[in-house]
Amino acid sequence: MRQISAMIRVTVKELLRKKDFYVILFLMPVFLGFMASQSFFGVEDSYRYVIDMGYSLAIFFSVVLAVIISARQMPSELESKTIYPLLAKPISRRMVIVSKFFGGLFASIVSFSAFYAVFIFFYVVSGPVGNYLPLVQSYILGVLLMALVCSLSVFLTTFLTLSAGVTLAFIFYATSVNLSSQFRDLYVFSKGAWAVVYGVLYYIFPHFEFYDVRSRIVHAWEPLTLVLMCSITLYTFLFSAFLVTLSGEIFRRRGL
Amino acid sequence: MGSILAINDLRYSYSAGKRRYEVLRGITLEVKKGEVFGFIGPNGAGKTTTIKHILGIIPDKNKSVSVLGFSPSQSSSRTRIGYMPENAVYYGFLSPVELLEMYGEICSVDRSLIRERTRKLIDMVGLSRQANKPLNTFSKGMMQKVSFAQALINDPEFLVLDEPTGGLDPIARKNMRKVISDLRAAGKTVFFSSHELSEVELVADRIGVIDKGKIVAMGNVAELLGGKLTGQTLENYFLQLIGEQE
Repeated sequence: MRQISAMIRVTVKELLRKKDFYVILFLMPVFLGFMASQSFFGVEDSYRYVIDMGYSLAIFFSVVLAVIISARQMPSELESKTIYPLLAKPISRRMVIVSKFFGGLFASIVSFSAFYAVFIFFYVVSGPVGNYLPLVQSYILGVLLMALVCSLSVFLTTFLTLSAGVTLAFIFYATSVNLSSQFRDLYVFSKGAWAVVYGVLYYIFPHFEFYDVRSRIVHAWEPLTLVLMCSITLYTFLFSAFLVTLSGEIFRRRGL
Repeated sequence: MGSILAINDLRYSYSAGKRRYEVLRGITLEVKKGEVFGFIGPNGAGKTTTIKHILGIIPDKNKSVSVLGFSPSQSSSRTRIGYMPENAVYYGFLSPVELLEMYGEICSVDRSLIRERTRKLIDMVGLSRQANKPLNTFSKGMMQKVSFAQALINDPEFLVLDEPTGGLDPIARKNMRKVISDLRAAGKTVFFSSHELSEVELVADRIGVIDKGKIVAMGNVAELLGGKLTGQTLENYFLQLIGEQE
């Protein structure tokens, strides 16, 4: 446990001491401030647009940072050879991967929390404040999303280069968010062998769209049920644990 | 004296494409408790690969290596080992204090001891004034000093140093020699590889010479030079020995 917490602290320090996080944290209110200013021109319900953009930006920027932070954990250790003094300490290769995952996750949660706080600020000042529960749920789902993104990024970079891992993680994310419903339709409406192929693809593909509750916040819809929240939490836990375990196994067998 | 490191017929090869490269061809050596063992050889001889086996970084499938009575692949056995790598590169955004504290935590050193040791080690390597500066502002020599300090954070019984004097100025080299001698006096066992033959000659109790994956000579300086300590240097001996192998 001390090994993991030591590595987490290092990754969070890396986030806080590099410029990337602050640049995005500065850009976000600039974007949102500009959009909020458009409501002065009498567009009805334009605050919903600001909320929509604020939520989307908070998630988008958090995913970008989560991918970059997690994906560079292992390649940078290998490239700079800092992995050797690390592995010479009483820490197994599997534990290194677990530590890197949690390090990336905590750093991503820190950045997501900061971006989410900016979003909440604009949400409160932009227009009428609705039910707070979807906001709490969306924060929890955002944290879970970070776990899935971090585990995928760490997994991809155990056998790919940093740039390939980052690119593929973004492709997975964009495909999942935008094309998941099409995959589902293909699976539901196809028959025979194709149904099996689409079914396998649908179930092995990480479902990042599960974490998107934008509509519930923007349109003040009902919050998600407890059963659904628990299901998504379980899904995240199982998927992330699978990817981290697989990453540990790949790294354990890797020649250094 | 008990044996701290025992290597018996260590072999290692790897494939690249259709070719198979034999890196280690039956290394056998023993390092006794309290000994300073110098490991020398030309580039590509297999020094670093041997060190990677000692540390468990390369899995020892044939159980040829025993460190402190354990297989190096057991991570728990590494609580008693310190390692200084050849290329000292660490997390540039951390300060020496933070780096040492992190390694102390990873080695499960008691928290109060970590602070005390960090301060002592930073004083010992002469970096007190730079203790809280980020490592990415450090010169190569300063990084070597940090690297040496991190190897000692868990107060190891057995130290593995890969080119410890590389990049150090003459004063820092002299200090490093003194520290190694002090470690020997404190009962620590040191295994170090080096290209600096004069350094090895001055510090090591025994020397192993590796070439093309084999130990080609082993013994103390007097034994290696055949009792001719005057006139003959380790460097001349090494050049003759490696030349004979070519």
